[in-house]
Amino acid sequence: MKALKSLLDRIAQRVNINLRELEFDVTPIARHLVPLPQMTKFYAFYGITPNHPLSLEFRHSSLAGSYFLGKCRASNSILYKSDVRGDELQKKGAKFTFGEHVITLADDEIIDIQDSFLVKTLVHSYSHDPESRERFFITNTIACHYANIHGSPTDGSFLGPFATVDLTTMYDCAIGAYCYIQAGEIGHFHADPGTVWARSRGDFNFVYRHSPERLKPYIGFVPGKPPRGIFMDFLEARKKDFERVFEVVNLQRPKGIPTNASLDRYAVIKPKMHIAENVLVAQRAFLENSWLGKGANAQENCYILNSRLEGDNVTAHGAKIIDADLGPRVFVGFNSFLKGCPRCRLTIGGGTIVMPHTIIDIERSLTIPENHLVWGMIANEADLAEHSMPLAEFSRIDGRFYRGNLLFEGSGAAFVSAFQKRIEHILLDNGALFDGKRFKGHAQRNQNISVNTIQPYPEGRLQGLYPTILIRP
Amino acid sequence: MTNFTIMEIMVPLSEYATVRQGATLLDAVLALEKAQEEFEHYQYRHRAILVLDGDRRVVGKLSQLDVLRALEPSATNDAALKQLMRFGFSTEFIRGFRKQQRLQADPLENLCAKAGGLMVEDFMQTPSEGEYVEVDASLDIAIHQLVAGDHLSLLVTQGDAIVGILRLTDVFAAVFHLMKEYQLT
Repeated sequence: MKALKSLLDRIAQRVNINLRELEFDVTPIARHLVPLPQMTKFYAFYGITPNHPLSLEFRHSSLAGSYFLGKCRASNSILYKSDVRGDELQKKGAKFTFGEHVITLADDEIIDIQDSFLVKTLVHSYSHDPESRERFFITNTIACHYANIHGSPTDGSFLGPFATVDLTTMYDCAIGAYCYIQAGEIGHFHADPGTVWARSRGDFNFVYRHSPERLKPYIGFVPGKPPRGIFMDFLEARKKDFERVFEVVNLQRPKGIPTNASLDRYAVIKPKMHIAENVLVAQRAFLENSWLGKGANAQENCYILNSRLEGDNVTAHGAKIIDADLGPRVFVGFNSFLKGCPRCRLTIGGGTIVMPHTIIDIERSLTIPENHLVWGMIANEADLAEHSMPLAEFSRIDGRFYRGNLLFEGSGAAFVSAFQKRIEHILLDNGALFDGKRFKGHAQRNQNISVNTIQPYPEGRLQGLYPTILIRP
Repeated sequence: MTNFTIMEIMVPLSEYATVRQGATLLDAVLALEKAQEEFEHYQYRHRAILVLDGDRRVVGKLSQLDVLRALEPSATNDAALKQLMRFGFSTEFIRGFRKQQRLQADPLENLCAKAGGLMVEDFMQTPSEGEYVEVDASLDIAIHQLVAGDHLSLLVTQGDAIVGILRLTDVFAAVFHLMKEYQLT
């Protein structure tokens, strides 16, 4: 295991060099995120589908429990139970507009991970960096448990547990636990835990900062120890169910699933589920005793328990919905935690947007009306009044808006419109709008994926590392 | 022609307002008042308090501005505002935010009552390298340090010890005196 240890130290050193200006030391964090012997225990796997270009390249890396789809490369890196999902990578010849420029991709896009350590991290979408559209890079970076690197080329950075960087190019940044960053491009930026930042230059700037005291019970993270708190306890309590789906080679597909819905074989589906047409359930999603209406989806690391989603619902990566009833087209953003209880259900009206990294944890029934914007931390009616607003009212903001820990500058209409367009786009990508002929998406394309496994050296100096592997069509 | 030395124009440490670490802002303000009363012969009033550790070494300096800073709501303190700037908010937005926080804050009487009990360490400034000047340095060196560092005073050292404070106002008085002397010759 010597080589693995030396690789981990090397990665930490490279990240530290990048973060020297912020005086951020990742060494004590990196060494204690995952015990080294754990990284030798699990196989890695990759999907084969005729719908996505296949090109995988692994060099001097540890890939324990990680999954790859599409065109990906990992070198000098450690990926632990991470998902690198390249099913939205752009293909050669694709055109995109940036300002006055129309740029054509010269090659198929690739996810390129170098000198990085990712723990239970999701890598998805495609590079939104106009300077690097063919290469979605993640270099000299450490990402902790349940981080999301979504369409965000990242260099020299640290992401704390449950942090999300979305559609943002990031250089030399330290992003605290449970932060959500969607800001275009940032450099040398240190975000405190619980920062939710969505910015479109010239249009709007939305910043919400969770109260450290209220956030602490949900996610606590100190260097030298793994993350802890309600989020981790919730996930640990359901770990056993995932062990079964990863251990069994041939799992029986649950009955009654429409042919145009997609259930990943690495998702946990527990009894009394209703899965309607065009539903997409990604790997590592957990469903139990719930109703997913037509076109609803559950992305990676989503948990939906004892809930009803009426249809066309977007449940973004890492969101959890427990004891709740959601009307049609409710959007639940990344890593949100929505928790009612059997006797105090949470009801969310149709068309409502729950901002990424929102926590709703109630002890009395709560109803959020339809077409609202919801953010922050909500435990009761008073919190709801401070952390929500009808979309129509938010759209009327033009200039400055301050409420509690929320700061907003710019056009509310542009903000709401950007989110609504994105939701529409996600539904389209996921295949929620498939009509039998048109609008095929992931729910239809990802149905027949063959999965192969690859194994590391079982012992010796290279134990835990994978040999150089090239997989081509 | 008068030849001013730093020793001549500085305020000796013994005559300056000082408090120990762990003191409150009220203690500091009372020390400033006391120093002023005891040394009324000074033409200019003291404007700062030095914070000393257990060995009577200077560990910080508390200016009038630092005391007033304690009355500001925490969301509008320098660190918080610097953070807001990093998110890319406009100056106008930050000004509005500051105003809103001020309106939501306690009335001034309550703020003053609360501020009196706050610790000096939370508001004092730690002297930077350019804020020290040797007691036997020439006056022009001291002037250069005041101007280049935009300081209101310098700590005067003799070996490892702080022996006094060289205030901008006293240096200005000395320079003004020299100007007049040159004018007459």
